Amino acid sequence: MTYSALAWKNLVRRPVRTALTAGGVALAVAVAVSLGGFNLGYRQAIAGSIEQLGFQVMVMAKGCPYEAATLMLKGGSGLLYLPEEAHAEIRTDPDIEAITPIFIGIAEKQGYSLDGAPAASAYTILTGVEPDSFRQMKPWLQLKTGAGYAGGRWFAPDATNEVVMGYEVAEYEQRKVGDVFYATIVPNGKVEPELHAFTVVGVLERTGAQDDGTVFLPLRTAQEIFGRAGELTIIGIKLKEFNGIRMREFEGRWLKIPEVQVVSLEQVKGALVSLVGTAQTMVAAVAVIAVLVAIIGVINSVLTSVHERTGEIGVLKAVGAGRLQIFRLVWLETLLTSLAGAVPGSLLAAGGARLTDAVLRHVLNIGVTQPLVRITPGLLGATILGAVVLGLLAGLWPAGRAAGLRPVEAIRSGE
Amino acid sequence: MDKEILISGRNLRRHYRRGSETVKALDGVDVDVRAGESVCVLGPSGSGKTTLVNLLSALDAPTAGELTIGGRRVDGLSERELVAVRRGLLGYVFQQFHLIPTLTVAENVALPLLFLERRPAPGEIARVLEAVGLADRARHLPKELSGGQMQRVAIGRALAVKPRVLIADEPTGNLDSHTGEAIFDLFQKTVREDGVALVLTTHNLVMAARCDRTLTLADGRIVS
Ligand SMILES: Nc1ncnc2c1ncn2[C@@H]1O[C@H](COP(=O)(O)OP(=O)(O)O)[C@@H](O)[C@H]1O
Ligand SMILES: [Mg+2]
Repeated sequence: MTYSALAWKNLVRRPVRTALTAGGVALAVAVAVSLGGFNLGYRQAIAGSIEQLGFQVMVMAKGCPYEAATLMLKGGSGLLYLPEEAHAEIRTDPDIEAITPIFIGIAEKQGYSLDGAPAASAYTILTGVEPDSFRQMKPWLQLKTGAGYAGGRWFAPDATNEVVMGYEVAEYEQRKVGDVFYATIVPNGKVEPELHAFTVVGVLERTGAQDDGTVFLPLRTAQEIFGRAGELTIIGIKLKEFNGIRMREFEGRWLKIPEVQVVSLEQVKGALVSLVGTAQTMVAAVAVIAVLVAIIGVINSVLTSVHERTGEIGVLKAVGAGRLQIFRLVWLETLLTSLAGAVPGSLLAAGGARLTDAVLRHVLNIGVTQPLVRITPGLLGATILGAVVLGLLAGLWPAGRAAGLRPVEAIRSGE
Repeated sequence: MDKEILISGRNLRRHYRRGSETVKALDGVDVDVRAGESVCVLGPSGSGKTTLVNLLSALDAPTAGELTIGGRRVDGLSERELVAVRRGLLGYVFQQFHLIPTLTVAENVALPLLFLERRPAPGEIARVLEAVGLADRARHLPKELSGGQMQRVAIGRALAVKPRVLIADEPTGNLDSHTGEAIFDLFQKTVREDGVALVLTTHNLVMAARCDRTLTLADGRIVS
């Protein structure tokens, strides 16, 4: 006979009650683990995704930095354009190490009816770039090699019908080197869509960033087919030395161009983090409620159990159990209940991390490509520990009540 | 008599408050229990038998009077302190058996050892079960037993700590007369073989006659 065995037998005596209580704990723990994983993951996810852009500073048409952030990470709607002359001017800045002009446009994917209402996913991001400066900004971009990809290369700046496809979009469209890629585009100021055919001259290796879903084409061609000659979406810039002071100096020098704003990706990151932080507060509120409900559940369940066993506890005292021993026994019951919920709950959260990630991604609607939810063993351990501590706190009251029962009265009332 | 006095009560009173009136369940009782003797407490229902044995077993504290158990003054002690007095020295048997339903026969018997923070020695529980005639029921649950068997388990549980006094409150009250006699025989055997003192309450005059001494209570006082 051990205290644990005794406690366990008391719990399984009322399997439904114990299961419901443990279930409440499991739910609370699952929410807490997911929240914790989100907290651990999202900063890194945002930082990582921004790093993948390759530049520290971008110049874009005046607008909201949140929009700028979303725009950069998703190639989202509501694109604003700036005049190409800005690029020619800014590139003369002495602090610049590298600079690349970028044009982003949205094409309807081939194979979708133009009359019907295609789903949002029926769009492809077309990005017009200068191949040399763009690759200098993102030196990690690699062309796929091997069967079907042999001879893969970047296009020349003046090519008119060549594209390089990101890993995922190539996969999705089942395109290899030499295949034809069709894009349906409604040029600026026109109503009728126009169909364009391109030759795929290269496919990129996976990067884990939004580049995977992008089709690259020469800047001039992109501007032309979208009917926006002389316009850019953003200018990506890497400074020779990047810090707050350099950034402010740089920004100050280019305030003089009225149509543009200079945004550092640190700012973008901050904007995104605070955006996500708001969501996090809401999730935290849900978690707090779940935890409170679980604690009340544990207290209620153990109190009921103690009440039912009043006579029995009196008997235990009559055969020699002291206050501390009764306390220990009842406390152990709350501990076991908490553990019985916490362990499956945390495993549930760990197993469901992908789902949580997908839901958060959908709700937040930010184009961060890296996992938003990161569940680590340390997080699981800390949450289980937290559940145990809260469980023990919840057990104080019922255990104290049980311990304080007087044997004769307890036995009488139990009869 | 020169035998050691294990329990000694002088002028014991136990009053209960019931609403505005006071029930004098025990109203000045003197009692001694010596090592190895059997004492029978007789008396009609409501005469204070249970109240008395609860005091003698340190389950309850007297309202007034002097009570010494195992050489220690216990009147005025708190419930916390009474636990220490009960432990090891006294074994208690209830009329309603009061076994723990989730535990097997052997576990019920071993339970008091848990609270003494002592593991049973190999064969220790088996010997107790043997002594109470339940060697073949060790793994049964209380609900699988007859009333007589349940009371044997309760006696085994009381004996597990090797007490010097066994206190039983109407231990045969819930049993038919035949089974009751067998249980009483078990008590007698225990007193004889282990030298345990026995305090037992009953309505049964035949049993009373077989004890070393008889106290008869009426309205909270000893009448003979
Ligand atoms: N906890 C209690 N509260 C109030 N009255 C009690 C309590 N316990 C016993 N009594 C009363 O004290 C008297 C003696 O009871 P008890 O000792 O149980 O007698 P017996 O065991 O001889 O039947 C009875 O009148 C009973 O109603
Ligand atoms: Mg009684």
